Amino acid sequence: MKEMDLIQNFKERAKKNFRRIVFPESRDERILMAVKELAKEKIVIPILVGEKEKIYQFSKDLKIDLSNIEIHEPKKSENLERYVLSYMKKREVEKGIAGQLVKKNLLFGAMMVKEGDADGIVAGAANPTAIILQVARTTIGLAADISLLSSFFIMVIPEFSGEKEKILIYADAAVNIDPDAQQLADIAISSGRTAKQLLGIEPKIALLSFSTKGSASHPLIEKVVQATKIAKEKDSSLFIDGEFQGDTALVPDVAKKKLKELGEVAGRADVLIFPDLNSGNICYKLTQYLAKAKAYGPILQGAAKPVSDLSRGASKDDIVDIASIVAVESI
Amino acid sequence: MKKDELEARIKKVVSSLLKVPEEKIALSSDFVKDLGAESIQSLELVAAFEREFGIEMDEEESLEVKTVGKAVEFIGKILKEKGKLGE
Repeated sequence: MKEMDLIQNFKERAKKNFRRIVFPESRDERILMAVKELAKEKIVIPILVGEKEKIYQFSKDLKIDLSNIEIHEPKKSENLERYVLSYMKKREVEKGIAGQLVKKNLLFGAMMVKEGDADGIVAGAANPTAIILQVARTTIGLAADISLLSSFFIMVIPEFSGEKEKILIYADAAVNIDPDAQQLADIAISSGRTAKQLLGIEPKIALLSFSTKGSASHPLIEKVVQATKIAKEKDSSLFIDGEFQGDTALVPDVAKKKLKELGEVAGRADVLIFPDLNSGNICYKLTQYLAKAKAYGPILQGAAKPVSDLSRGASKDDIVDIASIVAVESI
Repeated sequence: MKKDELEARIKKVVSSLLKVPEEKIALSSDFVKDLGAESIQSLELVAAFEREFGIEMDEEESLEVKTVGKAVEFIGKILKEKGKLGE
């Protein structure tokens, strides 16, 4: 799949399913522009959250036509009471405080997803990552057998081993600083499921280290060994293997030299799991700049329903792309 | 309302929400580092302050308030603008 095809493919799949995606940051110009385009192109049904009067005034000033865009006003919503009670099931807070909280756009948007009134949420242009993560965890919650939220990047590498526009998933390169073995296993499983859902591939998931199948010994390697074992046991439907060095994971000739038994993953990996955020973040940026790769993300995974955490510097086009990805994740 | 009453009410809200005894809450207390607030509790605190004082706090600005003392200043400013805080 080529890079242009990749995003186009997400948009086409999103169009066929026409999901309801909520945008709570309605005071951001880029969000309004993206929402307008998503509606015009019929990629998703975009939903804004906020006071109608303020949003219309803001969009009028910006000359963005928002007619026919669904807008939910938390303070006037007939769903507010239902969302407040739902929030109180998760958190021990007084009803008055829960009511005040759920009236906030971000919380209201998240509760729409939690309660099935929207299929996914796109936020983060105006809210810090820590808040998005905590709101997602508290309201939407985690996927049934996953212990943490994590993030992935879709990397499109212009050329690798003669293959044009090679697509790889990198995780976790943005959220978890030093996951333990259990958490690293869950990042591997989440990433494999994400790759299946988004790319329609049978993912080959490699847990990376500076050792290949015991070629070196250190507590840092032991964590990756344990994570590989846990992940394999936890989801036997996925092809997961490790611990591998980067070259063993990606290059068939190296894998053949270093391993007695190749298995399904060595030399063919397309989902790369880094042992910590140092390695994940460094590698994604090096790949981006040294290999001139395009990086899509970070995209959150591990929540019960799709959530995005946009980068603060996201452009209108980035937001349209991410909304398409969130829509495909929700199918 | 006088400033010392504002301070007392803010400490009471913080104590109730974060389940920390009032005597352990100082103006210099950092909500996260000293009082153990998770980030969702930062949002809940904002909601609790809004309810306690009948005000609206700007979401982004209010999340920059890291200590009890800063909350007293921030909320005090809003109340003063509304003519609800005396010297």
